[in-house]
Amino acid sequence: MTDEIGAPRGHIKDVGIETGAARLTPEIIRKTALRMLHEEAGARLRTYLDICVRCGLCSNACHYYNSMGGDPTYSPAGKVKETLSVIMAKNGRVDVEFMKKACEIAFTECNLCRRCAMYCPLGIDTATMMLFVRRLCHKLGMVPQYIQDTAHSHSATMNQMWVKEDEWIDSLQWQENEAREEVPDLRIPLEKEGADVFYSVIGPEPKFRAQLIYQAAVIFHKAGVNWTMPATPGWDNSDMCMYTGDMEMMSRLKKLHFETALRLRAKRIVMGECGHAFRSVYDMGNRALGWRYPPVPVIHAIDFFHEILTQGKIKVAQKYEKPVTIHDPCNIVRGRGLHEKLREAVGMLCETVIEMEPNREHNYCCAAGGGVINCGPPFKMKRVLGARVKGDQLMEVHKKGGVTCIAPCHNCHGGLEDILHHYKIPMDLKFLGDIIYQCMEK
Amino acid sequence: MRGQTFLMRLLAGAALTALIFSASAWSQEDVENVRDSVFTETMRPAAVFPHDAHNAKAGIGDCAVCHHVVENGRPVEGETSEDRECSECHHGGKGWPMDVVRAYHQRCRGCHVERKAGPVTCAGCHPRR
Amino acid sequence: MHSLYAFLTGSMVWVSVLLFLGGSVYSLVSRAVMARKMDKMVYSYFSLHYALRSIFHWVIPYAARNWRLHPLFTFVTFTFHICLIWTPLVLFAHVGLFYEAWGFSWWFIPDLAGDVCAGLVLACCLFFLGRRLFLRDVRYLSTASDYVMLALVAAPYLTGMWAHRQWPGHETALLLHVFSGELLLALIPFTKLGHMLFFLFTRGYIGSEFGAVRHARDW
Repeated sequence: MTDEIGAPRGHIKDVGIETGAARLTPEIIRKTALRMLHEEAGARLRTYLDICVRCGLCSNACHYYNSMGGDPTYSPAGKVKETLSVIMAKNGRVDVEFMKKACEIAFTECNLCRRCAMYCPLGIDTATMMLFVRRLCHKLGMVPQYIQDTAHSHSATMNQMWVKEDEWIDSLQWQENEAREEVPDLRIPLEKEGADVFYSVIGPEPKFRAQLIYQAAVIFHKAGVNWTMPATPGWDNSDMCMYTGDMEMMSRLKKLHFETALRLRAKRIVMGECGHAFRSVYDMGNRALGWRYPPVPVIHAIDFFHEILTQGKIKVAQKYEKPVTIHDPCNIVRGRGLHEKLREAVGMLCETVIEMEPNREHNYCCAAGGGVINCGPPFKMKRVLGARVKGDQLMEVHKKGGVTCIAPCHNCHGGLEDILHHYKIPMDLKFLGDIIYQCMEK
Repeated sequence: MRGQTFLMRLLAGAALTALIFSASAWSQEDVENVRDSVFTETMRPAAVFPHDAHNAKAGIGDCAVCHHVVENGRPVEGETSEDRECSECHHGGKGWPMDVVRAYHQRCRGCHVERKAGPVTCAGCHPRR
Repeated sequence: MHSLYAFLTGSMVWVSVLLFLGGSVYSLVSRAVMARKMDKMVYSYFSLHYALRSIFHWVIPYAARNWRLHPLFTFVTFTFHICLIWTPLVLFAHVGLFYEAWGFSWWFIPDLAGDVCAGLVLACCLFFLGRRLFLRDVRYLSTASDYVMLALVAAPYLTGMWAHRQWPGHETALLLHVFSGELLLALIPFTKLGHMLFFLFTRGYIGSEFGAVRHARDW
């Protein structure tokens, strides 16, 4: 047993981490860490660290660990050992190199997918601890550049993609015009008060994937949904600040999002097919703002599509013929238990479903979630290699004849696209909305 | 159920002991072990106790130290109980052998601890042979 | 010998029990107070129903998927924990001592069963040691304290068996047995052994979040 332990870290140079680190001294780290330990390391965190018996049962829960040939530094407890345990034990007396490594681990080797919390007999939530480390990095001004840029966009424009107010409205009207060629009486209702549904999306939808807004509009229109979108900031439900550990900014974003829905007196917030955004609105942002549950009911697109499909508001004209598989996004499965509704909806729309194993709550993350894909190109290969088990699952489905992978989450799409490409798996990717739009009676 | 079996064992034990006692003469010199008729099913080897040698070494002249008579919770001066079995009194009201065990342990070990002499560990008195 | 015996079976018993009880109450209460201040969501989301649902699935062998993924480990860990807690409570020698001190007693197991249970605890400890030494991830995760804890846990069972079987040096073994048992008890609230106290709360809380908030299973 003399094999090397510990993946090489630090060979990936990230401008955000490097320039942040250049400004740090052990004294600054110690002061910041101590203050954070004092103010924010609460009972949960301390208890988790106190009672972990290092049994290693979490190792196999982690797709990174499984994908990286069982390198123990990738096991959830291993990542804690490499980061928070040391910071705690040494009371923040760690050097700059240590923090650089901790930053890389917390930001790019953990998707905060919470699978390990589910596999730990003691119920230790490693994601909470990794997020704590990320927040420390944030406070130290040392965050991977790409995701920090997104966070900056959030704080400057209140959306993820530097979309200006007029551009947002323009994009909606553009999609409305396009869609009216197909469905002449279709509208994308803006600023309508008292609608049943306040539809919010993530920044990349108007920026890169405007056809998704088009499709949603067609689906809502055909289903006779009384819906609206805001013409003001607050339309973006995404939140990379949640993942950089900038909880103050996360709170501002969620506050604006809720307040916009409340200003329009909407009955429900329906969100596009995105996982992290759902987590930020349904789970984390509301808490930071002091809401036990969101002040307006928050419904993920899958939940809503399931509702209109089962209520017969949308009729399926022709089932999707190619065999599909279902990728369960962590944030709506372990985050909201929507896996059965997702399967019922897919069952109503598709002829053949080939399941990946394991699935539902036990799914493997795409390794893009938790802001990892947002850390950008420098860490792309690590992310794709960390998702080898997902690649294996997809390859298995492909061998059984699977052609399409349905992934109702933006980040998953990004991650899976890279996985399919890297592992040379000839499958295509779809949102559930893509399938509904394609198969519905129009 | 347990009570019944226990009672039956007790009766059988008593009968057996009566038989043994009637067959052999009872004399202090023979005592090498702690015995009592309720100890029908022993969990440990009988406690080693060479009566005379022990008392000579320990300097115990007064029989009432162990063979006491207690009435209304007070020891009765001048009376001893060599003719009776410990379990006649120490039976926890139910013929419960734990009670005699307790009496022996407290008597023997208590004294050993107090005087810092003699065995105190389990194996000290109940050696496996 | 006599003074040490008297000390270990006298004052030390009280010290260890008080450390265990006091330490347990202190650590549970102080964490509860800290959670009130810093983890308010614990109180908001804690749900007895979902906490018990989760705990229930994790205290039944093979009920959780991760138990099924590790069949041998699961068998060993359940055997270990059951024997570890159960054996000292129903051992004739302990029940007898309790009766001598307090005048009440309860059901006990035959000595042979006690030996078997202690032997199982030791065998399980060896298994855990083997994991720590030979499984790559567990070896990496293990710190010196984990080995010390394992030794501390094994000590009262090894010395207990030693004293009971009257192997050479059994008089010393008995003293070590009493001491290591007391040490183990006293250390529970202050070490990793604290998972005994906190398991219900950590598992219960994650169960509550998974069940009440996220509507997902966590086993």
